[in-house]
Amino acid sequence: MAVEIPTELEDLPTSKPHWIGREVKRVEDPSLVTGRTEFIDDVVLPRMLHCAILRSPFAHARISKIDTREAEALPGVLAVVTGEDALRWSYPAVTAPEGWGTHCIATDKARYVGEPVAAVAATSRYVAEDAIELITVDYEPLQAVADPFEAMKEGSPLVIEEKGSNVMLQRTFTWGDVDEAFAAADHVFSEKFRWNRVGANPTETFGAICEWDPMDLNLTVRGSIQSASNFGLGRVATFGLPSNRVNIISYAHGGSFGGKGGTRGTDVACLLSRKAGGRPVKWIEDRMEYLTAGGSQAWDRHYEASIAVRADGVVTGLRVKLVNDIGATGEGFGAINTAKPLAAFTGPYTIAVAQYDLTLTASNKLPESPCRGMGPPPHFFVLEQMMDIAARALDVDPAEFRRRNFIRADQFPYTIPSGNEYDSGSYEEVLDKALELAGYAELRRQQAEALEQGRLLGIGVASAIEPGVFDLNVYSVVGMQGTGVPEGATVSIDILGMVTVRVGFTLEGQGQYTLVSQIIADYFGVEMDSVRIAPLDTRSAPPSFGPGGSRLGVAITGAVLGACERIREKMAIVTAGLMQTEPANIELMDGRFRVKGVPGAEMTVAEVAGTMLARSDLLPPGIDPRPEATHVWTAPGRAPVDEEGRTKSYLTAAQAVHVVLVEIDRETGQVEILKYCLCDDCGTRLNPATVEGQTDGSVVQGIGAALLEEYAYDDEAQPLSTTFMEYLLPTINDVPLIEKVAVVTPSPFAPLGAKGCGEGAMHTTPAAVMCAVNDALAQLGTRATEVPAAPHRVWKLIREANEKPQGA
Amino acid sequence: MTMARQVRMTVNGAACEGLAEPRTTLADFLRGELELTGTHVGCEHGVCGVCTVLLDGRAIRSCLMLAVQADGADVTTVEGLAEPDGKLHPIQEAFVEEHGLQCGYCTPGFLMAICELLESNPSPSDEEIKDVLGGQICRCTGYQSILRSVHSAAAKLGGGRSATGA
Ligand code: FES
Ligand code: FES
Repeated sequence: MAVEIPTELEDLPTSKPHWIGREVKRVEDPSLVTGRTEFIDDVVLPRMLHCAILRSPFAHARISKIDTREAEALPGVLAVVTGEDALRWSYPAVTAPEGWGTHCIATDKARYVGEPVAAVAATSRYVAEDAIELITVDYEPLQAVADPFEAMKEGSPLVIEEKGSNVMLQRTFTWGDVDEAFAAADHVFSEKFRWNRVGANPTETFGAICEWDPMDLNLTVRGSIQSASNFGLGRVATFGLPSNRVNIISYAHGGSFGGKGGTRGTDVACLLSRKAGGRPVKWIEDRMEYLTAGGSQAWDRHYEASIAVRADGVVTGLRVKLVNDIGATGEGFGAINTAKPLAAFTGPYTIAVAQYDLTLTASNKLPESPCRGMGPPPHFFVLEQMMDIAARALDVDPAEFRRRNFIRADQFPYTIPSGNEYDSGSYEEVLDKALELAGYAELRRQQAEALEQGRLLGIGVASAIEPGVFDLNVYSVVGMQGTGVPEGATVSIDILGMVTVRVGFTLEGQGQYTLVSQIIADYFGVEMDSVRIAPLDTRSAPPSFGPGGSRLGVAITGAVLGACERIREKMAIVTAGLMQTEPANIELMDGRFRVKGVPGAEMTVAEVAGTMLARSDLLPPGIDPRPEATHVWTAPGRAPVDEEGRTKSYLTAAQAVHVVLVEIDRETGQVEILKYCLCDDCGTRLNPATVEGQTDGSVVQGIGAALLEEYAYDDEAQPLSTTFMEYLLPTINDVPLIEKVAVVTPSPFAPLGAKGCGEGAMHTTPAAVMCAVNDALAQLGTRATEVPAAPHRVWKLIREANEKPQGA
Repeated sequence: MTMARQVRMTVNGAACEGLAEPRTTLADFLRGELELTGTHVGCEHGVCGVCTVLLDGRAIRSCLMLAVQADGADVTTVEGLAEPDGKLHPIQEAFVEEHGLQCGYCTPGFLMAICELLESNPSPSDEEIKDVLGGQICRCTGYQSILRSVHSAAAKLGGGRSATGA
């Protein structure tokens, strides 16, 4: 049965949507605000043990001996595992790039600080922690690699000896005649940039309860797991189990932002459960474990960028060279962060040709993970600084410079040089609205006035694309294979007309249960309260990837609408049979199946459902009597990449313009945000309140990345950001009032015209804040090229600028 | 390891007792021994405020206090806010109406800190709210909606009702 998914609100069987597009209260909230929602650490199973992990204090060290006897003898300890158990019972992790994995416990040497060396399962976490202190390990420290350029040198210590090199991947993508564009350019501008490691840091760390059934050879993992199906496949590979013997049960999680990795600890707990005879083993990562050894770190990047510009201010070419330190292994899939920029390489601009020179290196730092935005946030930071460098040199206002280079509204769908297709957009309108909201001209006046008083103000105007609804296809360029990312939903209507929707994901904070309830309520003309969402484990759920890549809102809308359409078709046949007419004469509108043109000849959805469930004898022959349907939605038309990495990858392209006013304290280098305004366009806003919430939260994460957050390491690859005292998350005192307006340009391709918007402002904020910082610093003749622009860095730039002879 | 001992406290108005080793944190005691899992932990080193509860009316970090130190105290956790019939506390209502949460993991800590704030200052300014909530981390909301929630809660509680319902 071919199913058409409505791409416009007008296509819904309702005379006027009551729920979609309204700021409805979230169905998730009553349980969350009362502390009743069950998170993984709230779960207690019979006979459950608790795991603590002994971790390497060295970034690089051979392990010559481990003595676990004392730990084993401690009362309350049921199992101890070391690298030997990992060798015996598991395989090295699946990675991207492929072949850069190790076992979940160090087997011969430790490759980063925090790498598991041994672990204990005991009757309480306190006893388990006592026990790991009783384990003695003999380490022979080795020289550590903490810098990618050192790592690439001949003779550098090797992180994984068998690979023969620390270079994980080196590849240059060329899209169009880049040499020609640069040769023909009136101006070429080049600069180097450094983006230091940052990360997701949800307030809840990762946790899991692992249960290895030694009789049935079944593995059950409960946990705060973002993508249950993918996580399950990872465990299948790690333990060499048939895929129908691994079951993943995902619990509500306290945020993720891509940073809920946790696979190492999970695998360690699985080994412990096996060794403890199948007793469930709970592993809850503590914050220091998360910061040093969790799914916490991303984007350790060194950039060199050049743009080719015509005298009239049109940018004609872009070159980006990126060296990304991925860390000790490829297990965290941090490499895909470097592939996603292909989905929006040239940002919102018509830059016709581009080149991406990509090098991924191994080091003795923590393996990198995904993080909100995946990879474009640093890329757009670079691109937007280059746009400003050019604008400043040509003496064009930065807003005007962007306007000259925007893709115009009549050019969509628009294929960018790196192969992705943008669905729709109104970039100039978004710019105009953002400038108007900010009172841009007035801000410039304020800035000039402040300068006269010796104050240093800067204004940033930046624009970026948020690719929405990811596909795996583009990630194949860094070794993660696959095309197509499905999301399924099963919608069932019961005998009293109440609706249950079964899905394969759980709560993460974006309000998706609310969204599903809104759609069902409008589609079948019921109250939102009549809808219940049932999250299922991987053994029972329809195909699902879950949240990630700004996809779930769009994907679950497609899945739910598809299931609704299937039920509608079925019910139309049933109603036609009961009304003795043809199905084509039946229409659904406002919760009633009506015979077209015959007033009063109608049945409510509940009546049809009740008849189907109670009176199968009355139904037309051959019809499935259940008022239920499953639909699995996948973005249409995705294909593998070509030889230059080009493909249609992300289905939607949201766009935003942010205008930021900052003041820099000349004495301390402190950057303060005085005004933050933005306009964004993510198509139809299905629940405007949750869209705004995603925007607010991602602006603040972006401010953190631009000004505060950094995973610092010393030269020996010792992590220096191991608590929240060093890794600084933005607090309520660090954030300005965020003023917002929206433009709505529906996607012509996505269900109900909605674009992915979950990663949101993270794409634009770091760029915009840094444009503002540099607008201020330009008045001193200097420029910040390293993120975060923390006070010590900015202060140094100011001091150096002051020391430079005037006019130099 | 030292012997566990009996610890008694009043939690959400009810007399409770349980066993705690001297090193057991109040957070672990509430969550484990008393099975009150509404209080969460986010860092266990005193920075994030996720574990905030009220102890004798003051907002404290339950990850930084030992259960034995709280012996004899009067503790209020998020479980003590709503009515037994499920009617939400005005601060909880305000959070729902103003979208003051996304994942909700930080929310119990915020609610308890706001209880203390509104008890001592029934109509706080933005600055006063920021002063108190500067020690609570939320990674999801960007704080904008939390600020709105506090103002809305203050308005709901206006009329002299105490924030802790006492
Ligand atoms: S868990 Fe207590 S302050 Fe973070
Ligand atoms: S709502 Fe998720 S951390 Fe605050």
